[in-house]
Amino acid sequence: MSAIPKEIINWNILNEIVSMDEDDPEFSKGLIIQFMEQAQTTFDKMQNILHTTRDLGELDSLGHFLKGSSAALGLQRIAWVCERIQNLGRKHESSFPSSEVVRASLFGNDTEPSSAASVESGNVSQLDDSVYLQLIGEALQEARNEFQLANLELSKYYGSPL
Amino acid sequence: MNLSNDTDISRPSTSASANLGIVNNTNHNNGNNSNIKAPSNDFVRKLFGILERCEYPDIVRWTEKGESFVVLDTGKFTTQILPNHFKHSNFASFVRQLNKYDFHKVKKSPEERQHSQYGELSWEFRHPYFTIHNEEALDNIKRKTTVQKKIMLDDSTVLLKPNSGSQPGMEENTGANLILGNAVTKDKFNLLKRRVDRLQKDLDSAKEESYNAKLEFQKLNSKYNTVVESLFTFKTVNDNLMHNFNTLCSVLNNRGIDLPPHIYEDPNLKQHPNTQQQAQAQAQAAAAAATQTTTSTSHSTAGMSPLQNKAFDPLNNAVNAMVPGPVQLPAPLSTNSAAAAAAELQLPMPNMSHGPTVTTDKGDKLPETYDSFVLREGFHVLLVEDDAVCIQLCSKFLRKYGCTVEVVTDGLAAISTLEKFRYDLVLMDIVMPNLDGATATSIVRSFDIHTPIIAMTGNIEDQDLITYLQHGMNDILAKPFTKDDLHSMLIRYLRDRVPLIKQQEQRAHAANNPHHHHSTADNGTGTGTAGGSSGGGVNHRNNDGNNGNSIGPHSVDRNGYASSEADSQPELLTRSHSHSQLQSSLDDTANTTTTNPSGIPTQAMHPTSGQTQSSGRNAPLSTTASGHSASAVPDQEGKMLMDDEPLLKKQRV
Repeated sequence: MSAIPKEIINWNILNEIVSMDEDDPEFSKGLIIQFMEQAQTTFDKMQNILHTTRDLGELDSLGHFLKGSSAALGLQRIAWVCERIQNLGRKHESSFPSSEVVRASLFGNDTEPSSAASVESGNVSQLDDSVYLQLIGEALQEARNEFQLANLELSKYYGSPL
Repeated sequence: MNLSNDTDISRPSTSASANLGIVNNTNHNNGNNSNIKAPSNDFVRKLFGILERCEYPDIVRWTEKGESFVVLDTGKFTTQILPNHFKHSNFASFVRQLNKYDFHKVKKSPEERQHSQYGELSWEFRHPYFTIHNEEALDNIKRKTTVQKKIMLDDSTVLLKPNSGSQPGMEENTGANLILGNAVTKDKFNLLKRRVDRLQKDLDSAKEESYNAKLEFQKLNSKYNTVVESLFTFKTVNDNLMHNFNTLCSVLNNRGIDLPPHIYEDPNLKQHPNTQQQAQAQAQAAAAAATQTTTSTSHSTAGMSPLQNKAFDPLNNAVNAMVPGPVQLPAPLSTNSAAAAAAELQLPMPNMSHGPTVTTDKGDKLPETYDSFVLREGFHVLLVEDDAVCIQLCSKFLRKYGCTVEVVTDGLAAISTLEKFRYDLVLMDIVMPNLDGATATSIVRSFDIHTPIIAMTGNIEDQDLITYLQHGMNDILAKPFTKDDLHSMLIRYLRDRVPLIKQQEQRAHAANNPHHHHSTADNGTGTGTAGGSSGGGVNHRNNDGNNGNSIGPHSVDRNGYASSEADSQPELLTRSHSHSQLQSSLDDTANTTTTNPSGIPTQAMHPTSGQTQSSGRNAPLSTTASGHSASAVPDQEGKMLMDDEPLLKKQRV
């Protein structure tokens, strides 16, 4: 599991997009608003799957999907959580750090992504689907949190609530 | 068995509550007789005893003949006899019990009834073996259970049919009694119910599975058809090219140019032992050279030795080696003959007024890195991507670099679009609905081997990368990528190319001005396309080719930078046999259909339509030359793709 990015936004990436506003005002803002809607929809879809079909493959691809667009906009912490969801969905990982660890990483604390909400990695293959679903549920909550943080930050940047 | 759940459920509940008394009685009478073959008939014997002793002559007694008995007063029978002797709670159930022992009510017409000596309301019953004073005959009276049980189990609807000999009024009750007598236990019922549920579930999932399999099959089938169709088209084009090539060769022969006969007589010339050995030797030299030269992606090419230049592209050299004839031609002769041959074939020829030195100069001016290279405007890019945000971002970047962008959102759409139209470059996401990018590419490669296809993906583990390349993708652009990352990629694959749309314009122009030969559309396509077709590494070769110009007579710069510059090729014939030219010629053939005389370029470029074949005969010189190389390309290309791996961009994981 890669380390959690400390910064909510990778400005190297976002600035490049913002620079496109030159000949197309509001381009970056429009893109971000579109992402916001897309993210909300995807989160709701995930939530729905967790409550109904509990289909890990479906969660994997939704995670992958949102990872792509969030990373493209430089929203790297959301992208990081989405990657966790993707990997949990395909059972490549079997743990997700506790909410405290995720929070702490935001303030630059170098806490290793411990496996607070994890299971012994020895018998990964025998783990029940419900374990992964449980972890994805936690990750989804974190993703929503990160989404709120990013929204705040971006609203501040654009000087208007998004 | 038509035992639906509903009937199963209703059976025990209704009959049990209504006929509880009977159950007990039945059980009592059958108490010690689980063996059906010797049924007890205590019930009958009890009745016989009452009749014999004539205990209640006013209520029940033998008839006069003694062959039947009669119940004179059913009310008294119910209140006085039943409670004392039987466990039946009412007369009807007593009658049912009689029926079970095959007693039958003696039917009477209303008139007979009126004149009956026993009164209108009397009930007369008879049984062949139930006669006065004949106790032994009672042994023959048996419960007729077995048969009915079978019917019950076989078909519950039987209950609705009249039982033989029973009274119309009694039928329902009899039925209910039968039901009760044969009702399954609750456990057994639940067991069956569970089993039915499970079977139902199995059936549903099997149905779903077969539906999915059907869908999958249809998908595969359509893919297969696409592939077969493309292969067929490709083969036709190929045959056509081969034919034209042979025509060209014979024309050249007639003009006195000495061609080795195997070039056009042996379609498998690429397997010529000498050329193979040569190619191998050169490949080894390439490896040696590579160790001395830096192989980084900043393609500094100036000052490379001719050997290195050649060595970087064993395939190119191999193809060159196959056609020693033209290479050895003295330049003046070549120029003249080429012009003559071209005139014969009504080809637009490059302007001959410039000397070959022009290109050499140009080659030396090559920028040394990609980044300083300015991309031409007007490249037509197909973006295959399912995420709206990425689509907007990527197409924005592309337009910033002067490209025109078309977007499709899944692999299947990408295939069908690439079948119909041509693009300078394809950017392809991997994870998409319907069909993933890698599989789509492998199908596209069955009919289009030269359009560069770049994977855009976040999955960049080594295994993934190898998979993408094996599917025929040229390179990988790791997500998320910056503007610069994208630019480098565009430069790598498009720097030497003239946008398709420009090529068309040029060709259209050439068609309108056949005598001026200003346009060199077929030249322009030249190496650029070849570079794109075989991955990043091939660009080295193109570069090197430029530098080699100044030395080797046959290493002419063909990068088709600008049409004017390519004009000056006196050795068109020479180069037309090189690998790159051969490949590019495929483009030309493909494009011929859209090169309309009116000179209006269309965006819809039909690569392998039926029209192509008819126009192929008038195709440019290079077109005909490609006939024998087309089949040789894919093999080699596969290897080269793998060799290119160090070039992969692994940015920001």
